[in-house]
Amino acid sequence: MKKPARAMTLVAMVFVVFVFLLAETVVVKIKTTSIRKDPKFTSAAVAPLKAGESLEKLETRSGWVRVKTKAGVVGWVHSTAVEARKVNLTAMDKNMQTQASAGEVALAAKGFNKQVEDKYRTSNPNLDFALVDALEKLKPTAAEVDAFLKFGRLGEYGGAK
Amino acid sequence: MSARTKAFAAALLAAMIVLAGCQAVKQGAADVMAATGKISKEDAQSLVQTADVLRSTFADITDEEEYYIGRATAALILSKYKLYRNDSLSSYINVMGTAIAFSSDRPETYGGYHFAVLDSDEVNAMAAPGGFVFVTKGLVMRCGDEETLAAILAHEIGHVAERHGLQSIKKSRLIDAFKVIGSEASRQLNSEELAKVTAAFEGVLGDVVETLVERGYDRKFEYEADKLALSYAVRTGYSPGGLAEFLKGMEENKPAGRVSGWFKTHPSASDRLARAKAETAALGAVPVKLDARTARFAAAVKAVR
Repeated sequence: MKKPARAMTLVAMVFVVFVFLLAETVVVKIKTTSIRKDPKFTSAAVAPLKAGESLEKLETRSGWVRVKTKAGVVGWVHSTAVEARKVNLTAMDKNMQTQASAGEVALAAKGFNKQVEDKYRTSNPNLDFALVDALEKLKPTAAEVDAFLKFGRLGEYGGAK
Repeated sequence: MSARTKAFAAALLAAMIVLAGCQAVKQGAADVMAATGKISKEDAQSLVQTADVLRSTFADITDEEEYYIGRATAALILSKYKLYRNDSLSSYINVMGTAIAFSSDRPETYGGYHFAVLDSDEVNAMAAPGGFVFVTKGLVMRCGDEETLAAILAHEIGHVAERHGLQSIKKSRLIDAFKVIGSEASRQLNSEELAKVTAAFEGVLGDVVETLVERGYDRKFEYEADKLALSYAVRTGYSPGGLAEFLKGMEENKPAGRVSGWFKTHPSASDRLARAKAETAALGAVPVKLDARTARFAAAVKAVR
């Protein structure tokens, strides 16, 4: 085999492995969420999830992804909560390590982050971030939303057209 | 190495870099290619630089960055408006807003959606990037039923879902910030970099807050949010008439002379009303109003009236 052809094959193989890995694993991109029993938000949570966690992607259905955690828990997560995993090719080259390292997550977080907010807060002490924290804690439970929908005949309880 | 092979290798590498979009991967992939002699070191470096340039627009802002922009935007809004404290109203608006967000195109954001009422008689609604949604007491007073308030919340969720707030950020500001963020392999910003990124962050907040509070979004974003409001409301199970009802009320009670709040930051209600009516007609069979909803709305907003 000629050298250029061999080079092309090698590059193509790396690409195929890369695309394969990209398609099969997703990473949680939001602060916290849950894996749910069924593909809907009012369904029971079966496991908590947090940013950076890798999940095996099993199938997709109208905006939802069925996933499996490292602990083996299977359930549904909304597609807007996850993204395709970023593969560290340097690590792969060394020892075929395929897990996203803590370093990668830290690197991904470099940008407008807590460090920048802290610095901004120091120079703007008049801003009430404690109030923002309090607003952020206002998060209705799935059961509260379900009761609201049921009473108001909304969502799956609707029907009057 | 032939020019064709080189071009092929470069194209594949570029594709991987774009797909990965992460500095370690970019540099790592380029290093691997260069070390194995597939491409020259110079080519590898130029590909990495090309990938860096790619992170330059609002679409490259991560969900986590959007969250921090949103938190500071919320803090700035709360420095201009006082929060209206009423636990039952706050709970009502949060449950309703969350129910609508669940039916939106973007139910999950980094920090989630949160809804609050501002203690102001001005009629206004604002959404900070990432999901802090504010409505004034004056606006709540203008709503006659749950469908109307649902339409307003759905409109604001539409702005968040489509990242309209982030689109008001000047491109040059993001390019400056991304240059600093992406220039070093180090995982923590040093003090000089931190100062630069924080300065860019302040600029970003200035652009966003000016748009939300003073100038208003581009007209096309308002029309888009109206369209999404109708769609999200109907998906949640609401009658789509709420938006038209609110706009009609706004048109009939337009203040004379110098305007502020909603009147200043939004395109004319009559124009939006005509569009909303046409879009509603195109929806076909839609849910209808329900007395039980109107009654719980009246009970929840009793305090502001």
